Amino acid sequence: MDAAATLPLTSPPESVKGRGEPILEVTDLVRKFGDRAVLNGISFKVYRGDTLIIMGGSGCGKSTLLRHINGTLKPTSGSVKLFGEELTTKSQTQLDKIRRRFGMNFQFGALFQSLTVGENIALPILEHSKIDPGIIDLVVKMKLELVGLTGFENFKPAEISGGMRKRVGLARAVALDPELLFSDEPTSGLDPVMTAVIDQLTMDLTQKLGMSAVVVSHDMTSAFRIGTRMIMLGTGPHQGKIIAEGTPDEIRNHPNPMLQQFIRGEADGPIPLKLSKDDYIKRLIG
Amino acid sequence: MKGYFQLCGDILFWLFIAPFTGRFFSFRECVRQMVRIGVQALPMSSLTALSIGLTLAMQSAQELMKLGAEAYVPDLVSVSLLRELGPLLTGVIVIGRSGSAVAAELGTMKVSEEIEALQVMAINPVRYLVIPRVVAMLIMLPVLAIFGNCVGMFGGWLICHFSLDMSTAAYIIHCVDRATAWDLYSGLIKAFVFAWIIITISCHAGLSVEGGAEGVGRNTTSSVVLALISMLVANAILTTIFFILL
Repeated sequence: MDAAATLPLTSPPESVKGRGEPILEVTDLVRKFGDRAVLNGISFKVYRGDTLIIMGGSGCGKSTLLRHINGTLKPTSGSVKLFGEELTTKSQTQLDKIRRRFGMNFQFGALFQSLTVGENIALPILEHSKIDPGIIDLVVKMKLELVGLTGFENFKPAEISGGMRKRVGLARAVALDPELLFSDEPTSGLDPVMTAVIDQLTMDLTQKLGMSAVVVSHDMTSAFRIGTRMIMLGTGPHQGKIIAEGTPDEIRNHPNPMLQQFIRGEADGPIPLKLSKDDYIKRLIG
Repeated sequence: MKGYFQLCGDILFWLFIAPFTGRFFSFRECVRQMVRIGVQALPMSSLTALSIGLTLAMQSAQELMKLGAEAYVPDLVSVSLLRELGPLLTGVIVIGRSGSAVAAELGTMKVSEEIEALQVMAINPVRYLVIPRVVAMLIMLPVLAIFGNCVGMFGGWLICHFSLDMSTAAYIIHCVDRATAWDLYSGLIKAFVFAWIIITISCHAGLSVEGGAEGVGRNTTSSVVLALISMLVANAILTTIFFILL
């Protein structure tokens, strides 16, 4: 059965209508590497205060999608509008102006190894503002406290654990109090308590401070906890397409068997991880 | 090649145009890189220069003594070092020590997403990472070459003074008498050109790394080989130009 054919690929639901202009609007995004379309007609919108969760199996194009949204990759075709401005046609200088309005939390932190934790967090502030160094120190302490790392400002990234580096990456991403936060698997590798802390922090940022967030996540508990909208990217025959979209409740009750297998984390199901016996023999002997 | 020339264009932009539009590079980072590229390379380049000065003096003394012209050993040592060996050997040392380090460092930053993080934070990687290294290399390679010249000549003096019984005054007079200011300038021009070649090739190799640790190793090796060949070719071209002009 073609799972995608059964899906009601949605226009914006009632919950997001009447909320003004979207902060992020992706329309018919296509990205090909050679003949292979990694993203194939992706469209979605993110409104102010939303936390959009991007889900999908390994290799489905989640991180590639994130790189198109933050402007580090150019699409083969399609449009990405961030804060109402088309990213795909912007010059480097114009792109940099837009980039000051969002923060990005990388999957493995992407901290600068030659700088201390404090210097990493202070870097965007130093580069984009003329704030007094004393105040910057204060902001760094506040951001570190936010992610539960008080007193770690003088450590080098190599001296702290992977989970801590991830949290420092988050602190750096929100150092300039951005309007939009991109987060690539923010809770993978964290213990359950720290996962809850990061989730709570993301919810505080979106619900109390009006920040929006786009989060790539495999962690279903975390995704359902923080997400206000969710999309799932397909693999195999549905590579590069959104196979389900909706609120957490809509996603939880979605009829798509691939999505249900992904949510439940089941080894057997319609997601083609293993070849059938016939396909296996065919591939072996050609 | 397109990427390399694009990087060279970006470097020239950030060095000569951007400061007039209020976009400066970090002076502090330049100093830090000058210490890494220049000051920390001093022991190694000094040892090389000393060894070359000693060898050059011994080899030339052996031949010139047959002609009864050992008095010209200082002339040969000073002119060879100033025009040719000083900048060239310093360049070789700097390629092996600092060029490879720059390529590996930037390459590792590329594969660990640090370069992408800079871009996303609206911090231009060329301004933040490349320019301080370029400035440091352009200043420190000529400085190292001058220092190498001095140490090399000291090596020559050791042989002339202790082996050929030449007085220190006679050695200095011969050195200064034969070598002209242009010999020094031509050597410095070469050092400056070598510095540009080394640092642009190393930075480009680092920034264009693809494919993890293997890519870092591959690009680091190719940066050393390419910088060495380019420097030798540039040296031949510059020597020809100086030879024709003067």
